[in-house]
Amino acid sequence: MEFEKFTLLEIVNMLKNKTVSSEQLTKYFISKIEEKKSLNAVLEVFDDAINLAKEADKKIQAGENGKLLGVPVIIKDNILYKGKKCTCSSKFLKDYIAQYNSTVVEKILQEGGVIIGRANMDEFAMGGSTENSAYGITHNALDFDRVPGGSSGGSAVAVAGGLCPVSLGTDTGGSVRQPCSYNGIVGIKPTYGRISRYGVVAFASSLEQVGPMTKTVKDNAYMLQILSGKSINDETSADIPVEDYLSQIKGQINGLNIGVCKEVMQMMSGLEVEKIFLQVLEWLKSNGANLIDVSLPNFDLCLPCYYIIAPAEATSNLGRFDGIKYSTRSDKAENVDQIYTKSRSEGFGKEVKRRIMLGNFVLSSGYFDAYYNKAKKIQIKLKEQAKDIFKKCDVLLFPTTASEAFKLGSKTDPVSMYKEDMFTITANILGIPSLTLPFAKGKSNLPLGLQIMANNFEEGKIYNLADYIENNWRWK
Amino acid sequence: MKKIDFIEAKRLASLSALDFSEEELNAFVPEFEKILDMVEQIKNCNTENVDLTYSTHKLKDLREDKSKVGMSQDEVLLNSPKSKKGCFVVPQMLED
Amino acid sequence: MEYDIVIGLEVHAELKTESKVFCSCKNQFGAEPNTNCCPVCIGLPGALPVLNKKAVELVIKAGLTIDSQINNIAVFERKNYFYPDLSKAYQISQLVKPICVGGHLDLQNKSVKINRIHLEEDAGKLTHQSENIGTLIDYNRGGVPLMELVTEPNINSADEAVEFLTKLRERLIFADIAECKMEQGGMRCDVNISIKPKGSNILGNRTEMKNLNSFKSVHRAIEYEVKRQIEAKEQGKEIIQETRKWDDEAGISYTMRKKETSQDYRYFPDPDLLAIEISDEEVEAIRKTLPLLPEQLKEKYVNEYKLTEYDANIITKDKYLISYFEEVCAHYNNPKTVANWILTEILSKIKDEDEPIIKISPLKLAEILSLIENGKITRTIAKEIFTKVWENDSDVDKLAKELGGEINEDYLCNLIDKIITSNPKAVADYRTSDTPEKQLKWFVGQIMKETKGKANAKLAEEKILEILNKTQG
Repeated sequence: MEFEKFTLLEIVNMLKNKTVSSEQLTKYFISKIEEKKSLNAVLEVFDDAINLAKEADKKIQAGENGKLLGVPVIIKDNILYKGKKCTCSSKFLKDYIAQYNSTVVEKILQEGGVIIGRANMDEFAMGGSTENSAYGITHNALDFDRVPGGSSGGSAVAVAGGLCPVSLGTDTGGSVRQPCSYNGIVGIKPTYGRISRYGVVAFASSLEQVGPMTKTVKDNAYMLQILSGKSINDETSADIPVEDYLSQIKGQINGLNIGVCKEVMQMMSGLEVEKIFLQVLEWLKSNGANLIDVSLPNFDLCLPCYYIIAPAEATSNLGRFDGIKYSTRSDKAENVDQIYTKSRSEGFGKEVKRRIMLGNFVLSSGYFDAYYNKAKKIQIKLKEQAKDIFKKCDVLLFPTTASEAFKLGSKTDPVSMYKEDMFTITANILGIPSLTLPFAKGKSNLPLGLQIMANNFEEGKIYNLADYIENNWRWK
Repeated sequence: MKKIDFIEAKRLASLSALDFSEEELNAFVPEFEKILDMVEQIKNCNTENVDLTYSTHKLKDLREDKSKVGMSQDEVLLNSPKSKKGCFVVPQMLED
Repeated sequence: MEYDIVIGLEVHAELKTESKVFCSCKNQFGAEPNTNCCPVCIGLPGALPVLNKKAVELVIKAGLTIDSQINNIAVFERKNYFYPDLSKAYQISQLVKPICVGGHLDLQNKSVKINRIHLEEDAGKLTHQSENIGTLIDYNRGGVPLMELVTEPNINSADEAVEFLTKLRERLIFADIAECKMEQGGMRCDVNISIKPKGSNILGNRTEMKNLNSFKSVHRAIEYEVKRQIEAKEQGKEIIQETRKWDDEAGISYTMRKKETSQDYRYFPDPDLLAIEISDEEVEAIRKTLPLLPEQLKEKYVNEYKLTEYDANIITKDKYLISYFEEVCAHYNNPKTVANWILTEILSKIKDEDEPIIKISPLKLAEILSLIENGKITRTIAKEIFTKVWENDSDVDKLAKELGGEINEDYLCNLIDKIITSNPKAVADYRTSDTPEKQLKWFVGQIMKETKGKANAKLAEEKILEILNKTQG
């Protein structure tokens, strides 16, 4: 059987009905990873995966329950799984073994999931193409010559390439949504605080969230519910009840107020995605939704704010990688100062160094108010503007990216790479949830993603609309 | 106006605990300049009436002061490049 | 020329909590290296801090003892720098919105203004072993809650600095905020010193003195530094703004080798921590838990308990003596007697001890004092019982029966009867005398002689009177 053709929910049912065993599935997907090794999506298949699958089978036989019991899962290489390597695709952490479980891994294990491997990414999640990995580039699942997007490129290709039914990514500025868009799958960046960040190697703490990456909207809703919730180990995780997201999918959008943002429409003008975006809006209207013109006056400042706040936090978050407690120590270091500078200079890649430098620039005395504080104030302004928007509408539609996945090696200038995030970064700056689903094909017949955003903790509304589009909008 | 020069780049490298060769730094400066140009847009936004605010929680909701057993010494030192006598080790530092 | 000395202090004290400030590891001194550690305090990737409520409450409490304003919103920031004792390459501290702002602590002759108190985490411990072994890093202390109190620069002499520190320490210990064990690094102090021509408003460059491990070294280091600065000034040399390290053994200070060029700490709010909202009600609730300060207690002891100034002074000098005294008084309501016993019997026993421990429970001392008051035992017996209890923690009642058993009331009355019967002349004298008290004393003397001093004189006198009056008619 070709198990990659099934959705997560179908696989969950097949396991429950014992039409397939976890061992069969796990072996199948591991062989797929082997078969598609050239994609370089998965850095390591864990050697205990099959054993864990066998254990899951025993539990299934014994009639035990678990929302993911026996389901193979792949995680991004910046999510800690105790006893397993976690490198963040950095040379610096080539030998690092996780000393504890992240909350999300804990939750997957509690529900009986079988974590089979870790996926390639941009080093420390900095990048939008998975070309910044110390372990080689990952290829797009649909076109070998193109980037998979990033930074969760490996996780996206794992699902799109049929290497697993569900994977986890992390999204700091679009790192779940952009690669999902480029590979034609569904991914969400939940509301900030919806999922605990405990045990996820931090890049920019105030902006990032873990997000599930799946083939379908319902799969995604199912997975988000499993991952969400308050953790006592994370002050920034929200103490707000987790909804049954699947039950929020009603199959109709009558009277739904959809915000169309003036500034985004202007930004989209002339881009590949523009035409089809307008078409889907018209279609939604004809299916009972109301289109509401809204404005996010400082939309254009999301990107610069992001490239101040994220590097500032990253600089500080990455200080702990020093060659002393863990991470590779330079063998050229003769004293403590050299342990710091030589280990870090040898260990970190170019993009990471660039962002550390940028972070130190915006934080250092004399610049702090003009950059960091200013960006934080603009963020506050933007949040106020978003509040007004969600007074008038239920959801807000953006494209996910300007165009299809670009060619490997075609973007060398950092700024043009940074601009990749211009539509996704808004949700990180605002903290609001945002999902991408494939909704069109571009000129090279590759997928384009549509982004649906909602007010904080209203993921249910997003899933309802996304599911409706997935099932009724004809584009394939 | 130039926002960054070689000397400034050197200062940032020192704050970052990173070593760069002269060529690397020279290449870095114009690149950095471009990024700062992009970031600079924020200057035109008026934030005079915006106060910095913070996400908060209440004192009463903080963690209770109860201790828990943490990791064993071996677990703590699991990934250490060098350890002795139950400690992480670095080359002898000058005392002060 | 004459100079004004300007001193500001930065005092760190480790807070008395069970767990660390941002994780649940034990806050404990002296454990095996790296055994009170977890992902948070050794700075593992992905670990996140979770603030300890008690640590915040203790800092609020500290603020209330010096009349600080408590901020309604307190924010934690990251202070970024690389040093091996700092596992995350940043220390979580407070800059813009600390928990406490302002305040003052009154000395004999002045009021020292306080700038702030904030909460931060302690760093790990480095042990510089040898070239062969290297420097060892132990993170047990990393993340121990630390309060930092900063004074305004309005201390003007070494004496004042030490007086300030002594008073502050006393208060922190008193209010159960910190143990301030200097020898364990539980209280540490940095001193900023500058001089200026007398009466001038222009401050000179200041130096910061580190590594001051006792109040004595604070005093010596200040005197040394003031002298050094004055000499430099007189010789026309510039005083360099720098950090100096005090060498207590050599009695000198020197410029610290560690370059202070990277003093740009790049503080910014820690995105992993929420700011704390502190309500006025919560502050008031904490205020209610403040114990009376030594000065206030002294007043109470003199005015309410009628202790002498001298006695009150001695008892209120020591936290443990106070709580002991209070507890004895709770069981035996005659503070004056309790104070007497503490000052004579107890203090003489512990005055030479390194670590003074009162080896008799407050309850047992109260029992002994009650037995005396009720005439069950004499002071002499009481002292004997006291010594035995101190040595063996024996049972007071049992001892009283053993040692004072012979002179219980019945025995005493029998003895009196016997003496009265065998001394008819003395009885007659008593009845006819102009000064019967004198005759009475003679009888008491006889009783004491017969009982080798173990009888209760007061009780004996009462009983003699009673029997004499009875036999009269």
